[in-house]
Amino acid sequence: MTETKPSTAPPEEHVLDETGHMHITDAPIELSHYTFEAWIAFFFFWVLAVTIFYQFFTRYALNDSAAWTEEIARYLLICVVFVGIADLVRLNRHIHVDIAYRYLPKAVCRVMSTLVDAVRIVFFAYAVVLTWQMMQKMGNYKMTIIDLPMNSVYAVCGFGFACAAVRAVQVAVEHWRQGYSVLERPEIAIEETL
Amino acid sequence: MIPALLGSFLGMMATGVPVAIAMAGSALVYILLTGDLPPFVVIHRMVSGIDSFPLLAVPFFIMAGNLMNHAGITNRIYNFALSLVGWLKGGLGHVNIIGSVIFAGMSGTAIADAAGLGTIEIKAMRDHGYDLGFSVGVTAASATLGPIIPPSLPFVIYGMMANVSVGQLFLAGIVPGLVMAVLMMLTVAYYAHKYHWGGDIAFEWPRLGKAMVELGVVIGFPMVMWGMLVAGMPFNAAFGLCLLALLASDYTWKFDAVMPIMTPVLLIGGMTTGVFTPTEGAIAACVWALFLGLAWYRTLTWRMLVKVSMDTIETTATVMFIVAAASIFGWLLTATRVTDMVALWVLSFTHSPWVFLLLANLLMLFVGCFLEPTAAILILVPVLMPVVQQLGIDPVHFGLVMVLNLMIGLLHPPMGMVLYVLARVANLSIEKTTMAILPWLVPLLLSLVLITYVPSISLWLPHLFY
Repeated sequence: MTETKPSTAPPEEHVLDETGHMHITDAPIELSHYTFEAWIAFFFFWVLAVTIFYQFFTRYALNDSAAWTEEIARYLLICVVFVGIADLVRLNRHIHVDIAYRYLPKAVCRVMSTLVDAVRIVFFAYAVVLTWQMMQKMGNYKMTIIDLPMNSVYAVCGFGFACAAVRAVQVAVEHWRQGYSVLERPEIAIEETL
Repeated sequence: MIPALLGSFLGMMATGVPVAIAMAGSALVYILLTGDLPPFVVIHRMVSGIDSFPLLAVPFFIMAGNLMNHAGITNRIYNFALSLVGWLKGGLGHVNIIGSVIFAGMSGTAIADAAGLGTIEIKAMRDHGYDLGFSVGVTAASATLGPIIPPSLPFVIYGMMANVSVGQLFLAGIVPGLVMAVLMMLTVAYYAHKYHWGGDIAFEWPRLGKAMVELGVVIGFPMVMWGMLVAGMPFNAAFGLCLLALLASDYTWKFDAVMPIMTPVLLIGGMTTGVFTPTEGAIAACVWALFLGLAWYRTLTWRMLVKVSMDTIETTATVMFIVAAASIFGWLLTATRVTDMVALWVLSFTHSPWVFLLLANLLMLFVGCFLEPTAAILILVPVLMPVVQQLGIDPVHFGLVMVLNLMIGLLHPPMGMVLYVLARVANLSIEKTTMAILPWLVPLLLSLVLITYVPSISLWLPHLFY
């Protein structure tokens, strides 16, 4: 099996003209492929950004920073990260080490990569259970300044893990069907960043 | 049970399990096997591991970088670099290096950096008939400047892990970054001399003069403001006045790159004078970049802003998930005294900082070949820091050495990850890419030796301010 992807390279264009000026253009922007967990993370991210811009403004313009902004910002960051994890699973963007795959025979790689898919599913599924257990332990514990239960933050983490587990299953099925994963074909990952 | 912790971690890493899952997963295995702790501690530790205000700097540094990384700004920065050094012999090679100095550390992960800017740089050099190997070599080498010259994400992560001031690390990176840039430009000059290359744009005094004026404005802004503050003017007034002057002059003279280059200047200036914490500095950089893109140049569209946010979330989640997992893993390493044992073992055969630095360099270069720099920092700092402290090595200096090693590791044959990326970008074989990068290891390893064994190169500037 060699390259199956049709060549979509644009016609050769010059980025530097004769007068020595650069003319780079941005690639067209495609937003339709983002999943709903990506949009949820997007929502948390912009609430975080607005909160933190507001804090910045109150501190420098009004010389009086609102204390609640710091606490809520920290929790929002946690939400962004743990919901963001799910999308990374779908895109296979988690940082991993694929060096062994460059040297081992194909069959061994297939086994290892299937193992990785399994570990990922087990980890995220177990993380959902553990988060649930922890939420029971936490009970009605409140945040320090804001009158909200700490469990609302953990619930978002649990939701993130659950999405990640579902995506991990999806990705594993996809890998099983196509017969390879990004680990076995690192060039796919590189191609995507271009 | 310690072998179970380390064994499962290394096993999972080698198999290709995501680094964060390998860390948190091996911690889980350990906790389940010993039964001393309830397993949900892992989740609790992971969440509290990123529950910190300083870490809020991470998403906003990434976002500021992404906001600057669109065509509207990139063109300006390259045009400025072209005016400044494009007329030199081997012009685009120099432009490549100056461009990397300016873009330094502005974006998220090293791989994406090499793919993004690298593609543009290699394309421009191909347009001007440069040898593909040379283009790949200089692009790879100059990519290492990113995290050395501030602002830099690896330094933020290192600062957090090693309990070192991020401001000091940023300042410490400036001189070494410039030393590296000079060494690389000398290498370009050597090639240009050897192969009789000319410049890539015609030499014109007006164009060079304009670039010099821009450079003057960038350097002048913080100087003038410093003067005003020393003269006793209140901060808000001084800043407002300087900002107005800056906007007025940019409006009148239509500078190429003064405004974008001002981003790191504002950030580092603010952090050095203690006006900003790193988190606030990152936010200020974002506000400035948003202002430039949406209001001043109007090159940033709303769709682009959505894409930038999504990219930011993606990189943030990638990095912070590992930070979270490293917090449970690092805690277990310390609790089970693994870090102490490593320290004892190292100290059993050497008490010389020199020997240790040499061994640490080799280890980090090796690790840097196949592990993302941020992930490597999160694993290596808890293990190496006790030794560093016992030997009396300045942790700021060590931070610089570590980041540089990890960056060189990225492009070091035969395994470096950037090697594979650039081979793909340039459509060269791995062998040819390796040959193209090899000569560039000379200036890189030379800077590594200098920075490792002459601590004052990195420590001189931070000691001046702190």
